[in-house]
Amino acid sequence: MLLTIRNLTVDYGKQTALMIDRPISFERGERIGVIGSNGAGKSTLVKALLGLVDYKGRIETDLTPDEMAVHMQFNQYAVTMPVKVILETILNTSIKENKKLREMISFFEFEPCLKKKINALSGGQKQKLTVLMVMMQDAKLTVYDEVTSGLDFETRQKLMEKLAEWYRKKESTLLVVSHYYEELEQLADKILLLDEGKVIAYGPKEELFTTYCGSSVLILENNEKNRDLTRDFSVLHSPQHLIALSCRNEEEELKIISLFIRHNVSFKRSSSDIEIMSINAKEKYYEKKEAV
Amino acid sequence: MNQKRCSLRMIRYEIRNLNGNLMTHFFAFVFPNFFSLILVKAIGSDVPGEYLQQFKTEIMLSVSLVIPLSVMFLGYGALYSNEVEREIPLRMRLFGYQEKSLITAKLAAHLILMTIAVLAYGIFWTVVIGIAKPAVSSFLILLLCLYLVGAVFLVVSHALANIFRKFSITFGVEMFFYFLVMIVCGMMGVRTSQLPDALQKVAALFPMSYICNDFASFWQGGQYNFMPLIQSFLFVGAMAGILLLYALYKSRRATV
Repeated sequence: MLLTIRNLTVDYGKQTALMIDRPISFERGERIGVIGSNGAGKSTLVKALLGLVDYKGRIETDLTPDEMAVHMQFNQYAVTMPVKVILETILNTSIKENKKLREMISFFEFEPCLKKKINALSGGQKQKLTVLMVMMQDAKLTVYDEVTSGLDFETRQKLMEKLAEWYRKKESTLLVVSHYYEELEQLADKILLLDEGKVIAYGPKEELFTTYCGSSVLILENNEKNRDLTRDFSVLHSPQHLIALSCRNEEEELKIISLFIRHNVSFKRSSSDIEIMSINAKEKYYEKKEAV
Repeated sequence: MNQKRCSLRMIRYEIRNLNGNLMTHFFAFVFPNFFSLILVKAIGSDVPGEYLQQFKTEIMLSVSLVIPLSVMFLGYGALYSNEVEREIPLRMRLFGYQEKSLITAKLAAHLILMTIAVLAYGIFWTVVIGIAKPAVSSFLILLLCLYLVGAVFLVVSHALANIFRKFSITFGVEMFFYFLVMIVCGMMGVRTSQLPDALQKVAALFPMSYICNDFASFWQGGQYNFMPLIQSFLFVGAMAGILLLYALYKSRRATV
């Protein structure tokens, strides 16, 4: 066990930003995706783990905050010198003598940025610089907090691909906080879903999907024709422009798919859609709460 | 990930960082030398010949204090509060640098700059203005006092930047304090003894008052009671320590 959170509460003044009332454990080597909308408590959780905010409750671990490598949502560095000097100082090494660092720079195609000052770098390049230095820490627990925020779609995709590729062979535990479901599909094998500071769901991605969505979901456009066609099936909660059908087993899935083919309906199939899973987990959580 | 300690690389980084702040260089190298020259030329012409050397020594001693205060207090405050506002020290801590390592590297870089500035000031006075040859002990005591003033005020500056966390507030408070101290301690041409009683009592709390007003009396040798000076160092040192502890408490990282 790398870390266990017990009865964690973080208050900002009179407002409770985070309240984790059941034990949450991170095992060594796990890839945990933390997801939730604005104000869900994602960044507060990271800050509590790092001891940057006061909290009540316990975070049990052998790690000290300094043994965690952290990317956070700020990438500000000294503006008075080239990026190369910053990189070498922070990592306390020399690019010339450090093969791993040279490989990393080339992995991120970062060579052209080394002579520039930080103010001359784009948002994406600044993110790359921090990510590169975080990766070089090779820490037991690495935290990425909204690593792609403020980046355009293409840069976001590229950065996530690089991250996924790098960590594929690594044994480090990753905690990835993100707004983007597709990023977590790429990186996470466990999901921690937060909403208004509370834990809605936590567990392996597939297990949560099965619990809240069935064995697979079929997603199609929300229009009148499709609504009529899917009336008799088990419809899940989904974004307003979509209809999501839950399939309990292969047989049911095949039945629905053949219906779609007959009616020439375009659809998408998924057995790991985090967005649909999250929406339904949230609905179930609040339904249950209301019932109580 | 290992804890990163203060290293030569870190000190070189801080020197480069410091070199980016041209105001510090102005106040460390240009201002004290020109200010001394202007004071000597402007007021010195009215001073009778037999007192001129004594007058020059007093000016040299008073203005020498501008260097530690400009470099270690104002210059450091400007640079560090700017960094704090942009959360650079937090970013460094998240990369494994302890607060202690950061402040050690900054202190070393600033001490190096201060040493160069003091040397330049000494050369300027020797070559351009002319200075009475000091007793070795007096010269060493002055150097020790300059470094102590610098170190204490760097700690104060560090603490203020961490408490206010905004460049504008930190720099405003430091500028106010800088000029207040300069006036009260006799660094602006008005002797402390000419000030109202209340301000004289305030001045007695700062070591700079003793350096400005008394050091000339034993510059070329003689007796001096150092006890009030030592007490004032203990007082400002204790104040700086309390401020630093409060600032560290405010920006602490809880142990998981």
